[in-house]
Amino acid sequence: MADPHKPRAPFAPWDRRELPGLFDVEESARRIGNYKWAEMKLFEALGGWVATVPELDVKMRLGTHCYKHAWHSELWHKRLPELREMNPERLTQPANEAMVRFVEALTEPEAPELTIEKLVGVYRVFIPHFISAYTFHKNNTSQITDAPTIRSLNFILQDEFDDWRDGEMLIQSLIETADEVDRAAAHQATLEKLMLEAGGIAGHGSIGGATSPSVTAY
Amino acid sequence: MRTFFPVEDLARDDRFNQITMRDRMGDARSVLTSGEAAGKRNNNRLTPSRKDASDAARGLMHGIFVGEIQALEGAGRTCFDFETGTEAPFALKLDMARQAWDEARHVEISIMLSNWMGTEIGQYAENTVLFEAACSSDPVLRLAGVNRALEGLAIDVFTTMKEFGDLAGDPYLEFCEDWMLADEVTHVKMGSDWLRRLTEHDPERRKKALEFQGVVDKLFSYGGTRSDSEESPIGLARRFRELAGFSDVEVEDIAAVSREALDERKAAVARMQAAATLAGA
Amino acid sequence: MTGNVTVTPQTFHFVSFDAALIQRVTESLVSALGLGEHPVVIEVDETTPLARVSVDIGETITIRVESGALEDTRKPRMQSEQATATTIGRVLLRARDRLVGGFGEAPADVDLSLAQIAAWEVYCVGRLERLGIKVNQQRWRYNFRNRHGFSDDADASFDRLWASDSLTWGEFSALGAAAP
Repeated sequence: MADPHKPRAPFAPWDRRELPGLFDVEESARRIGNYKWAEMKLFEALGGWVATVPELDVKMRLGTHCYKHAWHSELWHKRLPELREMNPERLTQPANEAMVRFVEALTEPEAPELTIEKLVGVYRVFIPHFISAYTFHKNNTSQITDAPTIRSLNFILQDEFDDWRDGEMLIQSLIETADEVDRAAAHQATLEKLMLEAGGIAGHGSIGGATSPSVTAY
Repeated sequence: MRTFFPVEDLARDDRFNQITMRDRMGDARSVLTSGEAAGKRNNNRLTPSRKDASDAARGLMHGIFVGEIQALEGAGRTCFDFETGTEAPFALKLDMARQAWDEARHVEISIMLSNWMGTEIGQYAENTVLFEAACSSDPVLRLAGVNRALEGLAIDVFTTMKEFGDLAGDPYLEFCEDWMLADEVTHVKMGSDWLRRLTEHDPERRKKALEFQGVVDKLFSYGGTRSDSEESPIGLARRFRELAGFSDVEVEDIAAVSREALDERKAAVARMQAAATLAGA
Repeated sequence: MTGNVTVTPQTFHFVSFDAALIQRVTESLVSALGLGEHPVVIEVDETTPLARVSVDIGETITIRVESGALEDTRKPRMQSEQATATTIGRVLLRARDRLVGGFGEAPADVDLSLAQIAAWEVYCVGRLERLGIKVNQQRWRYNFRNRHGFSDDADASFDRLWASDSLTWGEFSALGAAAP
């Protein structure tokens, strides 16, 4: 039986979490506001598209994924006040004007024969960018001070990977001709260029790079 | 993509054939009056003791299936059609997204149940009236029409089907309907709560929403398909409606409206049959 | 001999049915089932969407059918050739069972239990499928289960009935399928 009086190290030998992180509270809140805005636009688009796609399996998947992204936006909405932003709507903003144009282009397809374009926009462009932005955040934020964000990121990333796989498989099953390969690629390129301009879900620096902030938090 | 998607454009594959309420009500044939020529009142309640029980249950199950598709589409559209904050609260949209997921599962369940019962996708005509109730430009009217009237009907239908499965000893049917019923009670309650919250300081808007609900309730009585009367295949599930937030007065109102719809439909059928007989003479 | 089929009414007012199609389908079935010596009368009740069917078997086989039994459920009030063939075929097979198929001691239709009716339907529809008429076996299995229970035993009875071609009433009853 362990001796209750014997002092133990506060961090177990296998606990290798580190205190420093790339983001201060303000930067973390800004990013999370961008995430919330983008997740909202995504769940709204998925919900809107349900009525426009004739493929029953796609229709059901979009309805299911719609909720997952709504839940992600709710997680971010709840996180913002914990980051000193008592008015979450203030930070619920697109990263920049290019991101607004990206969402407009993403949600433009409506006709029933454009399911490939709808899915490509979400599963080959938008969600991969969510995954990269979230992964960067998870790997660079303080593992101790920002643990609540990391916990949400872990849940959300699991969803994003699952949905990405679902969506990619739907796209592959819908593409049956060389022309359709071209259609998918062309739409992906159009949207990727807009996303490039936007710099990612949280703007330039979404996945680090030259403009990412330096380590600030201890 | 447009906001406010028209019912005529609902996307379906070739298996489906869509009809409107007008098409349905234009059918001069009716089960409601088929026994009355012999001077007896019909008992059309859907139970296993009916000779055509299996086929009637299959037909109703397909109606549930397409209703779930439209409910999914309606909830999804409410996520998209209104601007967050200015037109619809963020939390309302979250609830609608949750409902979209629930309805998507209901579509999945309905497909599996239909397969179990020997029904093919699209085997019966799809009445698009449910989505029409989800097309209002006021989210409060959508909540009244879809969450309270349509999902209220779903409570009645699922209760009838659950009892059918229980009586027939069909564990699969009873199990599925039980779960779907739980979700529908949640959706109706969601509608009741939002209706109260959004119209708390706007009695005129609340009045309009409740009037719209009354119209939809009558429409969703499908000319007497749902009422307290044994002549209607589907009964009124009073206990589950109570759980979902309907007051006793509201349930009585729905019972009266349904009864009225039944009587009106019977009268209309009698008129149409007389006219058709005259045309054939 | 296949030309001895009469359909009434010849013109429909409540539904868009084609009397000639009903006649053609029935003639084809009569021929396939070897019932050519019996005049067949089909009386359609177009005032109800229900799908009940009854038959009087004498020198003439008289089939009374409600419009729902011949209808295309995808397109209300329109006729389905497949539904017409399945409905008329089932009744003609039942008539043949009684006339020449060893079902002489079977109770009259009105005295049959719901379980017996369900079992007889299975026996008929299985044979129709082998005649080349498209049917959904699961539909009939579901109906059979509703009357005989949702169990492995009921399913085994269903499979034997579906695969049978020339049962007598005694054999039919012995299969356990006619249990009330």
